[in-house]
Amino acid sequence: MNGILVVIEHRKQALAEVSLQVLSKGRQLADQAGVELLAVVIGKDALSLAEEVARWADNVLVVKSEELELPLAEPYQQVLASLIKERKPRLVLMAHSSLGIDLAPSLAVELEAPLATDCIDIRTEDGSILAVRSIYNGKVHAVYSLSSSDTVIITTRVGEFAVDESNRQGHIEEIALPFEEECEYKKFNGCVEQEAYGVDINQAEVLISVGRGIREKKNIEMAEKLAEVLGGVVSCSRPIVDCGWLPSDRQVGLSGKTVKPKLYMALGISGAFQHVVGMKGARMIVAVNKDARAPIFSIADYGIVDDIFKMVPELTNKITELKLKNSKG
Amino acid sequence: MDIVACIKRVPDTSETDDIKIDASGKDIEKSNLAFKLNDWDEYVLETAAQLKEKLGGSFTAISVGPKVWEEVLRRALAMGADKAIRVDEDVVSLDPGCVARILSKVIEGLRYDLILFGAQSEDFGSGQLGAMVAEMLGVPHATLVVSLETEGKVIHVCRELEAGALEAYSIELPALLTIQTGINRPRYISLGGIKRAMKAELKVISLDNLGLSLNGLTQELKLERLEFPHRGKEAVIISGLPRESAEKLAHILYSSGIF
Repeated sequence: MNGILVVIEHRKQALAEVSLQVLSKGRQLADQAGVELLAVVIGKDALSLAEEVARWADNVLVVKSEELELPLAEPYQQVLASLIKERKPRLVLMAHSSLGIDLAPSLAVELEAPLATDCIDIRTEDGSILAVRSIYNGKVHAVYSLSSSDTVIITTRVGEFAVDESNRQGHIEEIALPFEEECEYKKFNGCVEQEAYGVDINQAEVLISVGRGIREKKNIEMAEKLAEVLGGVVSCSRPIVDCGWLPSDRQVGLSGKTVKPKLYMALGISGAFQHVVGMKGARMIVAVNKDARAPIFSIADYGIVDDIFKMVPELTNKITELKLKNSKG
Repeated sequence: MDIVACIKRVPDTSETDDIKIDASGKDIEKSNLAFKLNDWDEYVLETAAQLKEKLGGSFTAISVGPKVWEEVLRRALAMGADKAIRVDEDVVSLDPGCVARILSKVIEGLRYDLILFGAQSEDFGSGQLGAMVAEMLGVPHATLVVSLETEGKVIHVCRELEAGALEAYSIELPALLTIQTGINRPRYISLGGIKRAMKAELKVISLDNLGLSLNGLTQELKLERLEFPHRGKEAVIISGLPRESAEKLAHILYSSGIF
């Protein structure tokens, strides 16, 4: 089997956490199969980041460009297409990140390479590569085999693979590959950072988080009351921001914030992975949800399978009572 | 502006605690499930409807699936599409590459300035169809689009990155975008919309009509089997009536030093 090639993503002169996850998984697979782990770093900061990448990779390919600072799909596609045609890695790995989502499908079409996206596991069985995907709201896993081809492309779910420490000193090689930094019919105008509105949910020790189960905007008040008695703040999952019920700076998850409060209480949140990656670091997680099979219960420390509209007012009352009792000593 | 919107019908598994794998081992039992328009596609249709209202032109909705899928196309017609096309093929057994091949063949035969897809589907969620079709048609694309504005033959878009950051692009038309949820507030369908949808044209075509055949489409992803996930550790479930479980939880929070 030819080697495995990992596509590295970086922003602001730092490797993306997702790329360390992919490198770790790539290292495992390369060791199992006894093949070389290649990694490619593209752009202005490529050379300075190569040393860190070489802790996992046997061979780091550096494609420098003075102009290209950020990971953009079109120039990356050009570099990768010519690199993959030349080196023919058996497997190309990258994260199912915003970049991977933009880049991998068109690259796969250009190279006529099989593609499996957003995979939660990769296995090799008798020389063929199996990709495992989470489907139907995470309730079922699907095992796919990829048709035999010189190269197959797999993108991995963000946050799914742990970062294993590694201290290799892989070889670093600068390679020259011609590519256009600018695409003539698609002009990059820069990045926009999220604006801050006021409440910083990263600072809160208690987050009462609401999801789709809250049903209506006016019901958020119920969560606010609970947050108030606990000295906390209300945060939410994506659908609540999509509906315009809370501003986007309250959103926890992949496209929102990563929080680590003392208590995270998920009310009517099913626990899609996009949400979980943003809150799994909380010290204590409590989930209230009607659906006993909701994935949130496999991440929570405590769970209550019940209607949030019955539970939450009761809980607010109990906590108020207890606080009052304790203050009277 | 001529707009093409590709949409799909999905089973609603979000609140089902009783998913079963069927006898083939390769699909779930669907007889007890409700079906709906893919969530992302609601935003696709609203985007298309708004652009058509503002700029005129045509709005065509396309779906690949059996006859029951016409319900999502009727919905598109009710939201403002003036034409709908269904490719009569069982999409569930096809991999995304094959579906992309079929859709790009349909779109090739249409007039288009802007092609819209949902950023992903709720059921399989591979999020790859749009960008594949763009590459097959040779048009520029942007995925995960959260805002857009047209200016003549150019469309200015923002696409979503991680942690709330955005990437801004100006793209020359024709172009393909995949739409992220939250880009707009999808409208409720009016009575007039429903009446129009019943009368509007819904064209059904076969792979044969497109010069394609099932044998000629290469499946690159083969579904071997479905498995139930190992759920790992489970939460300690606090049971009882709401009043009782609330009391137990309040004591746990107190003894953990939360308040």
